[in-house]
Amino acid sequence: MVAVKLIPQLISWFGIVLVLLRGFPGLRSVVTTTSISGFAIGVSGAFFMFRSLPAAIPFGAVKSALGVSFLLLWGISVAAIYRSTGRRVTISSGARLVNTSIGAGTGAVLAGIITGLVCACRISGTDGNFPKLLFLVLIAGILTVIALAVEKRLPASLTVSPSGMLTAVVALLLFCSSSSLRLDLFSPLSMKVMKGVHDFVHQFMESVLIPDHLFVRSVVWGYIGLLFGKEVGFWGGMIIWFTPAILIALAINFQRLPSVAHIRQGARRRKLLADAIRNKRMLLITPLFSLAIFAAAAYQSSFPSVEYWDPKPEPVTASPSGEIFIPKKGEINLEDGKLHKYLFKQEGKEARFFVLLSPAGQLTVDLDACAICKPDGYGQAEGSVICYYCKTLIPLDTVGKPGGCNPVPIQFTEKADGVAIDGMTLLNAWSSTVRATARVKEGGK
Amino acid sequence: MHRRRWLLQLILRALAHRKGRTLLLLAVLAMASSLATALGIVSSSMGKRVAEEVRKYGANLIVIPESARLDVGSGGLNFGVVSEPAYLPQRQVEDALNKSGLKVERSFHLRGAMHWKDSDLMVEGVNFADIRRLFPWWQLKGRWPAAGETVVGSDLATRLKLKPGDTLELDGKAQTLRLRISGIVSSGGEEDGLLFLALPELQQALGLDGQLTLVRLMVTAGKDSLKKNAAELQLLLPSAKVNEVRQTARTSEGLLAKVKLLMIMVTAVVLVSAGSSVAGTMSTTVLERGKEIGLMKAMGGTRWEVMLIFCGEAAMLGVLGGVAGYLFGSVIAQFITRTVFSASAEFIPWFSGISLGVSLFLALLGSVGPMIAVFKLDPVRSLRGE
Amino acid sequence: MATTIIETGGLTRSYGDICALKPLDLQVPEGEWLSVMGHSGSGKSTLMNLVGGLDRPSAGSLMVGGEDLLALSEDGLARFRREFVGIIFQQHHLVPYLTAVENVMLAQYFHSVPDEAEARSALERVGLGHRLKNRPGELSGGEQQRVCIARAIINSPKLLLGDEPTGNLDHKSTVMIMELLKELRAEERFTVVMVTHNQEVAAWGDRTIYLDDGVLVREERTNS
Repeated sequence: MVAVKLIPQLISWFGIVLVLLRGFPGLRSVVTTTSISGFAIGVSGAFFMFRSLPAAIPFGAVKSALGVSFLLLWGISVAAIYRSTGRRVTISSGARLVNTSIGAGTGAVLAGIITGLVCACRISGTDGNFPKLLFLVLIAGILTVIALAVEKRLPASLTVSPSGMLTAVVALLLFCSSSSLRLDLFSPLSMKVMKGVHDFVHQFMESVLIPDHLFVRSVVWGYIGLLFGKEVGFWGGMIIWFTPAILIALAINFQRLPSVAHIRQGARRRKLLADAIRNKRMLLITPLFSLAIFAAAAYQSSFPSVEYWDPKPEPVTASPSGEIFIPKKGEINLEDGKLHKYLFKQEGKEARFFVLLSPAGQLTVDLDACAICKPDGYGQAEGSVICYYCKTLIPLDTVGKPGGCNPVPIQFTEKADGVAIDGMTLLNAWSSTVRATARVKEGGK
Repeated sequence: MHRRRWLLQLILRALAHRKGRTLLLLAVLAMASSLATALGIVSSSMGKRVAEEVRKYGANLIVIPESARLDVGSGGLNFGVVSEPAYLPQRQVEDALNKSGLKVERSFHLRGAMHWKDSDLMVEGVNFADIRRLFPWWQLKGRWPAAGETVVGSDLATRLKLKPGDTLELDGKAQTLRLRISGIVSSGGEEDGLLFLALPELQQALGLDGQLTLVRLMVTAGKDSLKKNAAELQLLLPSAKVNEVRQTARTSEGLLAKVKLLMIMVTAVVLVSAGSSVAGTMSTTVLERGKEIGLMKAMGGTRWEVMLIFCGEAAMLGVLGGVAGYLFGSVIAQFITRTVFSASAEFIPWFSGISLGVSLFLALLGSVGPMIAVFKLDPVRSLRGE
Repeated sequence: MATTIIETGGLTRSYGDICALKPLDLQVPEGEWLSVMGHSGSGKSTLMNLVGGLDRPSAGSLMVGGEDLLALSEDGLARFRREFVGIIFQQHHLVPYLTAVENVMLAQYFHSVPDEAEARSALERVGLGHRLKNRPGELSGGEQQRVCIARAIINSPKLLLGDEPTGNLDHKSTVMIMELLKELRAEERFTVVMVTHNQEVAAWGDRTIYLDDGVLVREERTNS
């Protein structure tokens, strides 16, 4: 059961060990021991963190570790492409360090720790006990040994450059984290991009740069509307996501071929050239392969295999005084901690809302829509609700508070046996929210 | 020079050397892929064509008053049977249609009798704009009527010796109308015995404001079946009867299925024969070039490198054949749809991928056997000429 | 004392029941020009194919340029051929649809990367600077053989094999070809193994061995 849930993570671990072993030729034993001990440290670290701290902290820590490694990849890729243009950058001391056993060991330990953390998070998210984690470390150890054996059988010509190695390791880390919702980086990234663009355009509009909306033609509004779509976030996220691997591949591709003009014998000259070209092509395999892994991670993040709790909205009606009353007990138990959706229709207007008991024990009534996105609604996943449109996770504790992509809260009165909502308030809140979010989508009209 | 460019040059030289055989192979591949493409394009345009045909055949749902006993299948409408005509309120039907959310084209009809000279004439009130949209096959001599005008069915016109420009005086229950005949209409159906005028005029003349006897609906075939649409509508119109007029659509669908099956079979036969002829030609070529292959191996080419050259030739043929096949196939598709269906085929760019794929697949599949021969060939023997 | 480039021990090649080469022990020092003589069917071509890595022996040991040819895989043998051996054929075996330059470049392609300038200069070296763009069909027998030589030496092989290179040529062309080979050997210092049944051609070598029915029957040194 544990192993099945962890298949993507374990495959990634296998790949990481394989790449590290290839990337540090001659340091097999160092890489093997440090990576597996790193993995064990990561797993036990996660174990103790989950024991002593609220779950949000270890998740946050792992997520930041992943983010930092991705940023590091960005930095290295920019440096690599800069260097390939022929300019000297003083990273040679760093490059020298990479090939020492200390460098190899550090890299392997770090990769091991992060993978271990991710794996542990995947189990501990639900329940973590010691034997399970021990079992996990054992499997990782076995995989490491298998990777060691496989690596020896790979053709010797398949070499990996340091930057290619880093790309592959980061890609695999992101791939293995993308399958758990709370560690995933791609969706938050594209959301950030979307929000960034959204805020920027908003500011731009509000400020004097465009004095009056009336001057903006409807065609222009169409284009401005495009900026608010999910697509902007998605494509912006894609660019940020794939650029480092592409840059590193380009840097390898731009590498100069060795100068052979001084060699008199034609055959030897050609042989050197051919070998250099082949070598370059071999170095390119890892970054290109990493691109595929990045794509797989982005795919997994965009189409998560997690199933959301998403009940069909129950139709409700208001009493003659305009009050909607939802009983606490009855067919639906409002206080079971699950999302309960309702649909209210009156005079051709309709509003979708949900009632939810927060972990703090407080009932909250919210629109099934937020102030930013198209009203695609929310689904509930472990410890959070997710906005279907922008894939933002909102922790259950903050549901009921306004702002951002949180569901828009609605005034209600809690009675002993149920909750009462004013029908008109609900309809007005829905239509003003939806109109506000639809306005930008449909080009400002 | 780069290896890859050299490889391309080598392949092109080899193909150009055997012009006849290259052209033959290209023709076979182009033929096969163009047929596949043409059949694909035709069959995918056919789907749309059938939908259009259904539209041309007109209404697929009709709404009639509950109490009226009408034989729907034949379309015959014998007023003698109905002792007490029932009517549909127009407003009610419109509301129901709006509520149902269906995408429909509608045409409202009111039928009644009016007195002319000594006899009763069957008169139908319609909106001519709807008629022209829903029943495009109605043929009109003259022009569509304006206010105070009428068109006469061709049978009726012959019988009563009416012609455009004549004026009729018709007595209704409430009013008497003076109408000028603007045209003679013929549909080949029962409409030829009727006289048509604008719906509001007839409603006034008969004193039946806002009443209808028949509504013809044309529901665009969506995901839901027509039956389901009819059931939905029936719920909203309890005082009426909603019936399907399904025959034409079903026939067209059946025809399309048969045509598709035929196309698949033809394509399969063509592909198989083309594949085997490619295989035959390729093996002859490889046999003839045994010495060349042996030489390449003797010079130090590995079995894979030598095979790559020959696979490259096959792939090149496949790509060229595919491109030619797509262009040619589009022309064939255009020709078929023009002559058979008298409509123009669409230009579907992504079919180029299919024709390219078909051609490449055939070229490579046909070369599998020869390629194994290339791979296995012993340089010593082939150079000796064995 | 020059190093030995070819060393065979009990080298045997049989095709089914027919034994084309009886166990043969042969040493060729680096830089030698060895002529192999014999009637057709005497096993001389078989010997050449074995030494050139085109064929595998049935038994015995075969070391060429320090490589144990029996231990090499099929692709290893191909690598050996392209880096170590140049072959001149009696029938030239030029690719008919490629020009002279392109025929030379084909050898470069299999070896590493094609280099047109180098191929041109190789053809100029064998005296074909004026016929670079001609196809084999437009060249005389002697010219074709010179293209074949240019192709054989383009990858600087250590070992040049000739399979009756002058078998189809008249006397005048034969002398020209042999002169050319001698000249090139002086510059490039490759070892030559040349199979022939022509006594006069064999005399260009340093040493001649005579094969008969797969057996080495006689060996003589030429004084030149």
